[in-house]
Order: sequence, then structure tokens, then C-alpha cells
Amino acid sequence: MTTVSEGLLPRRAPGAAPDAPAPPVLSLRDVRIGDRAGDREIVRGVSFELAPGRAVGIVGESGSGKTLTCRAALGILPAHFEVTGGSIEIDGTDIATLNPARWRALRGTTISAVFQDPASYLNPSIRVGAQIAEAVRAKKGLRRREAHRRAVELLRTVRLRDPELVHGSYPHELSGGMLQRVLIAAAIAAGPRILVADEATTALDVTVQAEILDMLAELRERTGLALVVVSHDPAVVARLCDEVLVLREGEVVEQGPTHAVLHDPRHEYTRLLIAEHEQYGLDRFRTTGEDT
Amino acid sequence: MTTTAAPVALTPRRGLAAARARHTAGRVLAALVRSVAIIVPVFLVATFVTFALRALSGLSPARIQLGEEATPEAIARVEAQWGLDRPFLVQYGDWLDGILHGQLGTSWANGADISTLIGLGLGVSLSVATLALLIGVVVGFMLGTVAALRSTTWIDRAITGFVTVISVMPAFVVGIVLVVVFAVGLHWFPSGGYVPAEQGVGPWLAHITLPAVALSFDVIADVARQLRAGLVAAYRENYVTGAVVRGLSPRRIFFGHVLRNGLGPTLATLGLKFPALVGASVVTEWIFGLQGFGRFANDAAQAGDVPAVQGVLVVSIVLVVSFNLIVNLVLARVTPAAQRGV
Repeated sequence: MTTVSEGLLPRRAPGAAPDAPAPPVLSLRDVRIGDRAGDREIVRGVSFELAPGRAVGIVGESGSGKTLTCRAALGILPAHFEVTGGSIEIDGTDIATLNPARWRALRGTTISAVFQDPASYLNPSIRVGAQIAEAVRAKKGLRRREAHRRAVELLRTVRLRDPELVHGSYPHELSGGMLQRVLIAAAIAAGPRILVADEATTALDVTVQAEILDMLAELRERTGLALVVVSHDPAVVARLCDEVLVLREGEVVEQGPTHAVLHDPRHEYTRLLIAEHEQYGLDRFRTTGEDT
Repeated sequence: MTTTAAPVALTPRRGLAAARARHTAGRVLAALVRSVAIIVPVFLVATFVTFALRALSGLSPARIQLGEEATPEAIARVEAQWGLDRPFLVQYGDWLDGILHGQLGTSWANGADISTLIGLGLGVSLSVATLALLIGVVVGFMLGTVAALRSTTWIDRAITGFVTVISVMPAFVVGIVLVVVFAVGLHWFPSGGYVPAEQGVGPWLAHITLPAVALSFDVIADVARQLRAGLVAAYRENYVTGAVVRGLSPRRIFFGHVLRNGLGPTLATLGLKFPALVGASVVTEWIFGLQGFGRFANDAAQAGDVPAVQGVLVVSIVLVVSFNLIVNLVLARVTPAAQRGV
């Protein structure tokens, strides 16, 4: 795993990248999410803009509203939750104006997502290759044979070592890391412009986590995929993102370029988050060990 | 650790499609072998218990043929004629050998061939039961699906209420109401009797429709309830969210993902339902004047005709076992993950 101190070094200087600023593919303006039953506001004013090929990170503890924010952008808020204020635009379209058919057209091709616990997000009764091929056929209109070839290609893209074999496997026959790669392959099957990764590497062991983060970074650089990376782990965000939001109890306590926020945290909560990471990170033990 | 390593030894590329087909065939074959391994002992134990019924009941053909005042010598003579004086296991072996050749023996009451008698009754009962199953599956499937798709709305509540009501209506009450309304009142259907399918499909259907409808209420209720519960549970699963964010259509999500995984309990219930329909239709057969399997079983038991009762039990065992086998094989195909034994 990338420790904060190492991960803090940005993969490329955020200021140096863009030529002309591309229009954002995803923009959230003062998004508020409330519980319809209890009249509580759970997310209070999240704003960010995401340009193609860029990555934004959302960090914060459990229950801080990270996942709800993502789900709002995907239009899959759980029952009883709704966007109570602000606006979300995907590729210039306000999601408040979308009907189910237009949502369906947008999902997969413009915005897609992967989640924690990949095994549960795949149908246990269908071979994983067929599930990727299904997305390709439904969204791209490919024929069976072409869809099969494309699915194998996608499995190779996510660096699975034996794509043909994985293609014919059931989810219960694969490991967690392989399943997350399969889920990513299914998510990018229709060539989306935005990928939401909600705690996508949390349940994986550190080497696999690093491999998958590298793979996402490569996808982003090669295809211009924009990433929304949600994690409770600042190191994951540091490794991938240009901009970071620190969320606490539904409020953005700090927001800015990743290197600035994580190197020089201004808010007490961000400092705490990073301090805890350093205190309990392996790095701490190794450096103290070497010092003495 | 490398998680990308394949869990199984590498297969040559060109052999993969064939290997996958073999894999599927292998899975179904494994389910078949496993089922047979269970079925054979079950069949042996069940038939042994069935055969032991005569010895346990103390009934004798002599009582039926000679009456109460027969002399012990006469009884012994008659029992010897039926071969009942031989050792128990020898009798069992003979009887089992006959069953395997389709011979269920001879009736104590009238000396008729039991296989033939049961065959006649079974033709009636299987016709009625199959139609009842068909009606039950189609109607129950529609009700369960609509209730699940509109769950927690008034439609769901109305269907659940209706299903609860019909599930507690006994088949004989439904049967009588059907006869009164559709046969006596409207003259749409005959009120009773049976015409074999060889004498015309129309009359055959006309005669079995009302009894099948009467029996189907129970199946409708079971299928609708199981399917609703299964589908509602499957809709809550994460893989449905996964399919939604991939932008799949509701129809694709329903048929490809939800139905496939929500069908298991319904199929398992159906496996138990069909034999029950064949066996437990005595009352309906009385109401509609059908000489079916249920009535044969009832008459044989009343008369103390042990070989006939044993024949009924053997046929029931075969029905139950083979229906469970079919359901197991279908389940192995539909939900392969359920077969990994966890």
C-alpha cells in the first residue's frame, strides 16, 4: 500500500496538465441529500467539477456521506433519500431532468461505477464473461461473437492473466482481486467517460490494491476516463487524484489540490485523518525501527 | 500475492469452448449422479418399509376371501396360495423383482392385476394434476411477478390478500362451487366423469378442466407467494444495482438477473407439489366422479387390500423421487452456484 508520505507526491503536477480546460463531464454544485422520512440532511453542500482524464477523491470516515454523494450522481439513491438542493450535471445534462429511459442511456456509456465487495455486484448464476458481454451487447449492439471477443479484450485490459479462462468462470470461482478487475471490466465495457470507484479497493490486500490503483491510473491516462475515487484511506486518494474533498458528517471541511490538502492540511479534521494514518501506518513502524 | 493467477490449470485456447461445454455437461451430470446415489437407497428403504406393511398390519387375503369364520387350515391354505408362508425376505425379493419389471402383483379383493388398475386411475389423475400444475404455474407466476414488481403498493397487497384467501379454500369447497356455477348453472362444462384423450382432446379437456381448476388454487397460492418472496429478495441484491449502473434495461435485469436467482424456492416447491396433486385428490375425484389414483388408493385401503395399497405407495414413491430428480437437475442448470454445497 502507498503510505501517505510516499503517496503525497503527486503522480504529475496538477497545474501542469491541461492545455485548454475541457468542459467538465461531471459537476456537482452545492449538492444536498436528505432523508425523506426524518427531514435530516445527510449531505450538506458538496461541490466539485470533474474534467475528462482528471480524478477527484472524496475521503472521510464511515457515515460522512461519501457513498450517498456518489449514488446521487449515479441516480441510485436508496429509497427514502433524495437530492434536496443543488444540482448535478453529467456531461452537461442536469440529472433532475432525466427520465428512466434517458438515465439508462447515460449509465454505462457516460457514467459507470464499481463498488466494494465485488462478488456481490456480479450475478452468481452467470459466468463473468457473459455478464461483461451482456453489457457490451446491450449498450453497443454488438453480436454474440463480437461481444465475446470484446469481453475477453476487456478482461485483458484490466490485466487478468488468463482472460479466456476467467471469461468462462463463475464469480464464486474467482478471488476478490480478480472479481474487482472483472467488475471494472464490466463497468468500462461501454466506454464510459466517468468511473465512480466507491471503496473499490478497500477489501483487497495491499499488493492487489496497488495493482488495481495503477491499472485505474493507466486507464485514466490512456482513455481520458475521469475518476471519482471514494475512500476512507487518504493514501488511495493520494495515489490517483488531482483534487480531494474531505467530508465529515455531510460537510466538506476541506477541498483543494491533493498535494496541498494532504501535505498542508488546514482543517483540524484533515490533520487528524492524516495523523491517524501515519500513526497506524506501517511506515511509522519501519522508520522508527530504522532510526533506533 | 498474485490474484490474477488462474485457479485451474491452463487449458489450450482452442479447446476452451469445448471445455466449457464439457464443464456445463459435467455439472449437470454430477448433479444427476449425486441424485441417483441418494435415490437408490431412498427407494430401497421406502419399498422395504412398504412391503413390511403387510407383516405389520397382520392383514391376510384369507380374511377377505373367506370371511371371519374361516378355519385356521383354510386360512393357511389361502395364505400358501399367495405365497405368504415363505420367509419374509424371499417374499420381498420376489415382490421387488416384480416391481422392477412393472408388475405390482394381484389384488386380494378381486384378483385383478394391480398395475393395470393403477394405470387406469393414474391416467385420470395425471391428466388432472398436469393441467392443475399448468394453471397453477401460469397464474401463480403472473400474480407473483406482478406483486413483486409492484411490491408494497396496493396491487401487491390486493394480490397477497387474494392469494391468502384462495390458499385456505379447501379443494372440495371450490370443487362444489365450480360444479354449481359452471356445470349446473351455466352448462359450460360437464359436471363429472372422464373421457380419455384418445376419444377426443376437446371432451377430455372439458372433463378435466373443473377438477384441475379446483386443485390449482393451492398451486397458484404457493407459486405466487414463493415467487414474490424470491423476486423481492433478488431485487435487493447488489448485482441488480451492478446491472443498473451498467445501464441494462429493466426487462433484461428482470429476466437475466432477478428471475434466474429468485426462482429457486419456487422450483423446489413445485417438486413437492406435483406428487401431492396426484395423491391428495381423493375428495376432488369423489366430487367430479373420477375413478382416479386417489380414489383407488382410498378404496384399496378401506378394503384392506394390501398389495393394492403397496402398489399405490410404490407409484407414489416413484412420482416423488422422479419429480425431485427433475427439479434438482433444473436447479443445477439455473443456479449453478447453489450446487457448490455451501
